[in-house]
Amino acid sequence: MAEPRENITTLPVESRSKFDQRGRARPMLSRDADAMYWMCRYVERAEHVARLLMINASTLIDVGDLETDALNKLWLSILRVFRIEHPPPSDLPLAEAISRYMTFEIANPNSIVSCLTRARENARSIRENISAEMWEALNSSYLSVRADDAVARFDESREDFYRSVLASSMLFQGLTNQTLPHTQRWQFAQVAKYFERIDVTSRILDTRWSLLASGELTIEPQLRNIHWMGVLRSCCSIETFRREYPGEMDPLRIAQFLILRNDFPRSIRFCVEQASESLTSLRTMTSRAIDPAERIVGRLLAQLDYAELAEVLNVGISRYLQNIQHQISEAATAVQKAYFLY
Amino acid sequence: MTPVPYNRSLAEEESSIAAQKTMFEAYQIDGLFDEMFASANVTRPHYESAFRGLCEFQPTDFDRRRRMADVAFRNQGITFTVYGDKRGVEKIFPFDLVPRIIPAHEWDVIEAGLSQRITALNLFCKDIYHDQRILSENIIPPEMIYGAKFFRREMMHVHVPRDIYIHICGTDLVRGKDGAYYVLEDNARTPSGVSYVLESRAVMKRVFPTLFAEYRVRSVEDYPHNLLNTLKHVAPPHAGSDPVVAILTPGVFNSAFFEHSFLARQMGVDLVEGQDLVVENNFVYMRTIAGLRRVDVLYRRVDDDFIDPLTFHPESMLGVAGLMNAFRCGNVAMANAVGTGICDDKAIYAYVPEMIRFYLKQEPILPNVPTHICARPDDCRYTLENLDKLVVKATNESGGYGMLMGHQATREQREAFAEQIRKDPRNFIAQPVVELSQHPSLVGDHFEGRRVDLRPYILYGDKPLVMPGGLTRVALTKGSLVVNSSQGGGSKDTWVLEE
Repeated sequence: MAEPRENITTLPVESRSKFDQRGRARPMLSRDADAMYWMCRYVERAEHVARLLMINASTLIDVGDLETDALNKLWLSILRVFRIEHPPPSDLPLAEAISRYMTFEIANPNSIVSCLTRARENARSIRENISAEMWEALNSSYLSVRADDAVARFDESREDFYRSVLASSMLFQGLTNQTLPHTQRWQFAQVAKYFERIDVTSRILDTRWSLLASGELTIEPQLRNIHWMGVLRSCCSIETFRREYPGEMDPLRIAQFLILRNDFPRSIRFCVEQASESLTSLRTMTSRAIDPAERIVGRLLAQLDYAELAEVLNVGISRYLQNIQHQISEAATAVQKAYFLY
Repeated sequence: MTPVPYNRSLAEEESSIAAQKTMFEAYQIDGLFDEMFASANVTRPHYESAFRGLCEFQPTDFDRRRRMADVAFRNQGITFTVYGDKRGVEKIFPFDLVPRIIPAHEWDVIEAGLSQRITALNLFCKDIYHDQRILSENIIPPEMIYGAKFFRREMMHVHVPRDIYIHICGTDLVRGKDGAYYVLEDNARTPSGVSYVLESRAVMKRVFPTLFAEYRVRSVEDYPHNLLNTLKHVAPPHAGSDPVVAILTPGVFNSAFFEHSFLARQMGVDLVEGQDLVVENNFVYMRTIAGLRRVDVLYRRVDDDFIDPLTFHPESMLGVAGLMNAFRCGNVAMANAVGTGICDDKAIYAYVPEMIRFYLKQEPILPNVPTHICARPDDCRYTLENLDKLVVKATNESGGYGMLMGHQATREQREAFAEQIRKDPRNFIAQPVVELSQHPSLVGDHFEGRRVDLRPYILYGDKPLVMPGGLTRVALTKGSLVVNSSQGGGSKDTWVLEE
C-alpha cells in the first residue's frame, strides 16, 4: 500500500516565510476590537435572558400554586441577576410585567430587544470585518424580535419565541467559531462570551442560592427538586448533571458542578480557563510583556483549579461567587484599558 | 417554475409573443428619446434580445423576480439612511429590474470624453492652487474662483502626490431629445453609489441569468481592485511597496456607510473613523490593539469642512486634529485631495469646455448642457426674463436641492426664486430644460417609460480609467426629471457591451 514519497520533499519551496501557515493578520483597530467584544457579550446576554425567562415560567407551571409573595420573589430574582433593583412600574401582574420588561422594553438595556439591537449596531459598524454569515444571522434575529408581529408571536407561544432567540444565539456563536479565522478577532469574541457567561452564571447561582438554600423562601420539601432543576436548566446544565448525579438534587453538588467543573462549557471554571487562554493568546499576538487582565483571570483560574467544595463553603457560596464577579469585572476593565481605550 | 429559455425558433417566438399580451402592451414613447425603442414598433438593435427576453415574462413571473431582488438587497443590508426618520432609518434603494444597455460604439465616445474631462479637471486644480495661469490669461474671471464656496485657500502652493487632486470622479451624464450625451455635472469630492453598481450587477446575475446569455456585458467586478491601485499610486515614498491604505468614514450614521464598509471589505483595508486616528510628528496613525500603526493613504469620505478641526470646522468630531499638516508635509496622501469641491461648483462647471481647450488644446468630446452664469449681467438678465423656460440651480447644492424647474413652478415660486437670484447672482446658474431620455421601467404589472441619467465612475491613477458601467438612476414618478435617491429615485443595472 505504501505510496512513493520522494517527490514530496523535492517540491520547490521558494521561501518559507512567504507561505507561512500561520497567516499574517495585521493588528486590528481598537474600535473594531471593542465593537467585536460588545457584540459578542450582548448576543450571549440575550441568550441568558431568554433562557431564564423561559425556564422560570415553565418551572412555575410545575410547582403549581405558590403564595403570591414566593412567586414575586422568584420573578424579582430574575431582575437581580441583571442588577436591576426595582420592578418596572406597570398595571400588569408582576410576572407579566417582568417578562415583557425583560423581553421588549427598549429603555431596559438588558432586555432581549435591547441586547440584540446593540449587538447588531456593533456588528453593523464592523460589518466589513465579520463574515457575511454572522451578519445575516444576527441581522435576521434582530429583525425577527423587532418585527411588527413580534409581540403577537410572543403572546401566542412564549416558549417558541424564547427558543428562537436561543437558537439564533447558538447559531451566531457557531458561525463565529466556524467562519472566522481563529486570530485576534476570534479571541476577543471568546473573551466576551466567557466573561458574560461567568458573570451571569455566578449571579444566577448566587440569587437562587440565597432564595432556596439560605431560607429566604420557604419551600415545601417535595418541590425542592423542581426548583433546583430549574437552576440547572437556567444554566443549560440539567442533562449533564443528571447523567452524572442521578437521584436527589443536592444543592452542594449543584454548586460544585456549576463552579468547579473544568470540562463542561457552562460551568464557571471551564469558562475562566477559556477566557484565560484567549487573553494569553492576545498578549502574545500583540507582543506585550504583561497584561493585567491576563494576570487577574490567571489568578482566578489557579484558585478554582485547586479549590475544594469545603473551602468554598467556608467562605460562603455567596461571597465566593461575588468575588468571582468582582474579579471578572476587574478583568473586563483591564481589557478595555489595554486594548480599546489606551 | 424555471425561467423560460428564449432561444427557440423565430417562428415559435413570434407566435408566442403575438398570442399573449406582453408587459409592453401600453408602452408610450411620448415624443422623447427612448433608450429601447427607435419608434413605436422598432426596437434599437442592441435592445432586441433584451426586448424579446422581457416579452417572455408574465407579470406574476416578473413580480416574483422583483421580490427575489428586494430580499437579496435587504438581507445583505444594502441600504441607505434617510435622515430624520424615527424607526426605519435604513431603506433599501428602489431597484428597477429592466437593465439599461449601452453599445460599444457609444461607450467609446463616453470613455474618451470622461478621460479627457478628468485630465483637464486635474490640471485645473493644480493650476488654480499654484500658478493660476487660467486666471492671468483671462479664461476664468478671478472673482469666480475667489467667490466659490469650495475654493480652499489652505491648499495654495501645497504639493499633492503626483499632482493628482481628483482620484475618483463621478460625472453625471444625460441624454436629450436628440439622443446626444451631455455632461450635467461633475462630482469631484466624494461621489457615492459605486457599491450599488457592483451589488446590482450581482443581484441581476442571480435573478435574471437568462437575460445575460445573449449579451457580452463588460464586467465591473474589478473596480475595488483598480480603486486600491489608484490609491496606492499616490502613497508617499516612505511607505515602500506595500502602503497602508484606509477608508475614513464619518461613521455608522452616515447615509453612505454601507458603501464605505462595502469598499473596505472589497479592498481588504481598514475602515476607520476620526476617533481611530491620531497625528504625531505630522504622521498619521491608527489605534490598533497592538499600538499605533502608520497610515499612508486615506480614502476619505468625510467632507473638507470636517476633516481637521485645527484647519476647518473647530467643533468637528469626524476629523483628525493635525491631518492637514500631515497632508501638507506629504506624509499621508488623501483621495480626493482637499479643495476639489471647486470643480463641483456649477458656475465653474460652465468653464470646463474652456479648460479642455486651454490645458489640452483639444475640443471637448462630451458637450456641457448650455449654461447661463448669473454672475454675468447679460446671462442674469436673460435668466430673469425666461424663468418659465429654464432650470435654475444653486451653484453649490446637490441631491436635487436648491433647484427651480421653471416650466413646472408656480408664479409665486418663480418670483421667490427671482428675488434670490437678484440678491446673490453668483450663487445661481440657469440651463434650458433637458428632456431626459426615458427607459422602460417596471410600474405595477407592466412597463412604462421613466426618465434616466447615468453616473459613470472614473479613476485617475497613472492614467484615467473609466469603469465600464455606472449607476443609471431612474425618476420613479411619471414625468419627473429628478432622479436623486434622496428625492425618490431608483436605480437600474447598466450594461456596457463588448464590441
